[in-house]
Amino acid sequence: MRHSIVVLLSSFAIVVGAAVTERPARAETPVKIGIVQATSGGSAALYGVMQKNAAELAIEEINASGSLGDFKLVGIYEDDGGDRGQSVNIFQRLINQEKVSVILGPTLTTSAFAADPIAQKAQVPVIASSNTAPGVTNMGDYIFRTSPPESMVFPGVLAYVKKKSDPKTAAQIYGIDDALMKAAYGVQKAALDEAGIRIVATETFQKGDVDYSAQLTKIKASNPDILVIGGLAEETANIVRQARQLGLGPSTRILGANAAISTKLVELAGSAAEGFTVGSSWFIQFDNPKNKAFVAAYRNKYHSDPDTFAAQAYTSVQIFAAALKKAGGVSDSKKLRDAIAETKDFDSNTGPFSFAANRDPVVVPKVLIVKDGKFTLTTD
Amino acid sequence: MSTFMQQVVNGISLGSTYAVFAMGCTLIFGVLNIVNMAQGAFFMGGAYFGLEAANMGLPPLLAFFVALMGGGVLGILADLIVFRTLRARGAHRWMGLVASLALARMMVGVAQEVFGTQVQRYPQNMFQSIAFEVGGVRIQLLQIVIFLVSVVLMALLALTLQRSSVGRAIRTVAFDEDVARIVGVPVGRTTMMTFFLAGALAGASGMLLGNLFNVVSPFMGEQMLIKGLTVIILGGLGNVPGAVAGGFLLGLIEVFSVAYVSSSFRDAIGFGLIFLILLVKPTGLFSRFEERKA
Amino acid sequence: MNAVLQFLASYSNIIDLCLLNSLIGYALFLSLSANMFSLATGGFMALGAYCSVYMTMELGLPFSIATVAGAALAGVSAALIGAPVLRLRGDYFMLATFAFTEVVRVIALNWDSVTGGALGIVNIPRDTQTWHLALVLIAAIYLVHTLRGSYFGRAIAAIKQDEVVAGTMAIDVFKYRLLLFVANGFACGAAGAFAAHLNYFIGPGDFGLLRSVDALSYPILGGLNALFGPIVGAVFTTVLPEVLRFSNQLREILMGGLVVAIVLYLPGGALSVLDFKIGRPRNGKAVAETLRAKP
Repeated sequence: MRHSIVVLLSSFAIVVGAAVTERPARAETPVKIGIVQATSGGSAALYGVMQKNAAELAIEEINASGSLGDFKLVGIYEDDGGDRGQSVNIFQRLINQEKVSVILGPTLTTSAFAADPIAQKAQVPVIASSNTAPGVTNMGDYIFRTSPPESMVFPGVLAYVKKKSDPKTAAQIYGIDDALMKAAYGVQKAALDEAGIRIVATETFQKGDVDYSAQLTKIKASNPDILVIGGLAEETANIVRQARQLGLGPSTRILGANAAISTKLVELAGSAAEGFTVGSSWFIQFDNPKNKAFVAAYRNKYHSDPDTFAAQAYTSVQIFAAALKKAGGVSDSKKLRDAIAETKDFDSNTGPFSFAANRDPVVVPKVLIVKDGKFTLTTD
Repeated sequence: MSTFMQQVVNGISLGSTYAVFAMGCTLIFGVLNIVNMAQGAFFMGGAYFGLEAANMGLPPLLAFFVALMGGGVLGILADLIVFRTLRARGAHRWMGLVASLALARMMVGVAQEVFGTQVQRYPQNMFQSIAFEVGGVRIQLLQIVIFLVSVVLMALLALTLQRSSVGRAIRTVAFDEDVARIVGVPVGRTTMMTFFLAGALAGASGMLLGNLFNVVSPFMGEQMLIKGLTVIILGGLGNVPGAVAGGFLLGLIEVFSVAYVSSSFRDAIGFGLIFLILLVKPTGLFSRFEERKA
Repeated sequence: MNAVLQFLASYSNIIDLCLLNSLIGYALFLSLSANMFSLATGGFMALGAYCSVYMTMELGLPFSIATVAGAALAGVSAALIGAPVLRLRGDYFMLATFAFTEVVRVIALNWDSVTGGALGIVNIPRDTQTWHLALVLIAAIYLVHTLRGSYFGRAIAAIKQDEVVAGTMAIDVFKYRLLLFVANGFACGAAGAFAAHLNYFIGPGDFGLLRSVDALSYPILGGLNALFGPIVGAVFTTVLPEVLRFSNQLREILMGGLVVAIVLYLPGGALSVLDFKIGRPRNGKAVAETLRAKP
C-alpha cells in the first residue's frame, strides 16, 4: 500500500514537473476552423466531400508555407449528413465547445437557413462555398459566401443560349423540397420571362425521386425548345438521361443550375449529357497560375478532379487566412469579420476575388458546355 | 392519346418492379405474420450485388442471377441472426419489427462503408440504348426486358407455391404454424426458405429498378419499403396474386397522379387510397383470390 | 461551474431532445399497454407542431395556448380516426395508422400557405424551455404511474392479456382503447408543439414513418413493463448517435447492432428486471385475477 502511494506521488510529481518545465520552442496558437460538410446522406454528399477535401488541402498548404507565422490552422470536420437538424447541433457544439473562429459550410442552403442564425448570434463568421440560393447572406453580417448565387450566373447562360439558337419555348422541372432547387427555379423562371421565352411546361420532383418518366413524358408532349432543370447534380444527371431515353432529342438543349456542375453528372448521364449548358464562376482549365497550382495539388492528393465547389471552398480558407493575418488574431471577432468583408481583388483560383457589400462574391460568370464528356468553356 | 399510352407504359414498367418487391413482402407477412422492415435493405443489397457482378464483366442475365442469389442470402442471414432467435424465445411480434428495422440500419451502414454514399450506375449495356416507337409511344427495350423478367419471376413463384413441396410447406405454415407442426412440416427450414425467396425477390427488384432508373445508392431501400407496405395493403396481407396486381396498380397510380395532378400529390393519393381501403375493405382489393381472416 | 455551464450550453439541445423523446416514449407506452402498435405518432406530432406554430407565428398567441391547442387538435383527430381504425385487427391497425401519418405528411408537403410546403417553416421562436419539458415529463410519469395502479390500469392489463376474455368481463375494450389512443394523440401533439419551438424549423420530412418507428422503439427498448422504460429507451436512442459521432458510417452499424442485441438478449427491454411473461394464458381466471389484483 505504501509502495503504491510512493509510485503514485512520484508519477504525479513527474507529470507536474514536465508540464511546468516544458516550454514549447515557439508559442503556436491554434486557430480552429469548423468544416461542416455533408459527406453522407444522399446527393448532398457529392458536394460535401469535395469541399472538405479542398478545405483540408488549403489548410495543409497554408500551415506548411508558414505564411501565418505563429498561427496554425486546425480544421475540425463534422458531417451533417445534409440534415439541418444535425447542422444545428454541430454548429452549437463547434461554437460553444470547440470554440471555432470560423465555420466553413454547411453544404446545403436548407441547412444554412437553419444553422447560420446560431453563428450570427454568437458572432462567429460563416463562409459558405455551396449555398447558392438568394437570401443566405441576408441572415446577418457574419455570413459570407464564395459561391455565387444562381441569380448572378443563370442570366448569362440564357443570353448565350438565346444568341446561339434563339429558343421560343421552354420547359422547366425543379425539386420542390430543397431551398436551393426551389430558388434556382425562381431565378430561371424570372430570366426566361425576361428573355421573352414562353414556358410551356412546369414539372416538379422530390428529393430522392428516381422516376421522372411521368414528368418528362408531359414535357416531351409540350414540345419545348429548351429544358431548364433546377436540381443538384445527381438528380439533374438522371433527368438528363431519362429525358434522352424518352426521346427528347439532342435538338432540345438542356440547361441546368450552377449546382449541377460536377464530374458526377457526366459519369451518371453518360453520352446523354453532351450539350448540357450551365453557368459557373470557375472551371477546371481556367488559365491562371493559382488555379493550375490548385488543380495539380488537388489531383496529387486526392487522385481525382476538383469541382467548382471544391475551388470555392479552397478560396474560402485562403480568404480566411488572409483576413486572419490582417486582423492579427482571432480574439476580436468583429475585427476578424471586418477583415474578411474587406477582401478585395484577392488573387484566387477564379481570378481576382472580392466580396460585395452584401457579402456575396463578385464574379464574372462563364458559360460551360459538356463536350466529349467534359465541362468546357464556350468559345464565344 | 399517345401521351396517355406513354404514361401507361411508364406505369406498367414501374409497377412491375413494385410487384416483384411486394411479392417478397407479402410472402414474409403471410408466413410469419410480421412486417419485415429489412426488405428494403435486401432490395438495396441485391442491387449492389448485381452492380458488382456487372462491373466485373458478367453479362446482364448472369449479373441478375447474382443479384437474386445475393438477396436470398441476405434473407437467410436475417432469419438466422435475428428472427430465429426471436421465434425460439416466443418473443412478441413487435420485437421482430424493431429488430428488423435495426438490422436494416446496420445493412445500410455497411453498404455506405463498402460502396460509399454516392449514387452509382450500372455499366452501359445493350438494353439501355434501344427503344421502339409504336404509334407515338416510345418503349425502351429495357422496359420490355424488365416487364418480362418480372412476369417470369411471378410465374416461377406461383409454380413454386402451388406445385412444389416447399411451396406446399410454405402455404401450410402460412395457414397455421401449429397445424403445420402437427402435420410434420419442418417449420424452421420452411421459414428459412421463405426468407430466401423474399430476399431473392427483393434483390431481383432492386436490380430491375436500379437498371430502369440507373440509380444505385445505399438509401434506395427506404423509399421502397414504404411502397412495399402500400402494395401489400392494396393487395391484401399475405395475398401473393394481390401483391402482383397491387404492384402494377400502384405503379400506374403514381405515374398518373404525377401526370394529371401534381408530383407532390403523388404520395397523398396512394396513402389516401390505402387508408380508405383499410377502413372499408381491410383484406385488400383483391381478397377474393385468397381467404384471410380480417 | 464554468465547465458545467459550458457543457450545458453545448449539449442543451441533446438534453432537451432526451426529455422530449421521453415524453413521446410515455405516449407510446400508453398505447402499447393496450396492444395498440400505433404508427400514428408522426401524424399527431405534425398536427401539434404545425398548429402551434401557426398560432405563435401567424396569430401571435402565447406559447402555452398554442401548445395546448396543438395537443388538442391531435387529440381530436385521434378520436376521429380512432373510431374506425381501432376496430381493425392488430396489423391492419398498424398499417392504418401508418397511412394516417403519411397522409398528414403529404398534406403538410402541399399546403404551402399554412405549412410552408416542402421547405417547411423556419425562424420559429425558441419558446420551449428545458423546464417546460421536464415538468410535462414528470406529469406524464405521474399519470402513467397512477393509471397502472388504478382499475383503469388493471383493465388495460387484462385487455392486453386476452382481449376476448376481457370483453366478457364487462370491460368495454373499445372504450378503453379509444381513451388511451386519444391520450396518446394528445401527448404526441404536445410533443410536436414542443419540438417545433425547440428546433427553429419544421418540415414535413420530420414527421414521417421514421419518427413513428423511432418513437415505438423507446418504450420497447427500455422495457414495456417498467415505469421508467420509456426514459431509458429514449435517452439511449437519442444520446447514442452523439456518443458515436466519431464515425458516421460505423455509427449506423453500431446503433443497429446494439438495438438488435438488446432485442435478442433482453426481450423485455433494458429494464426487464421484472419477469415479463410473453405467453398468452388463455384462461379467464388469469384475467380476472389481474382485475382483482392489488396495486
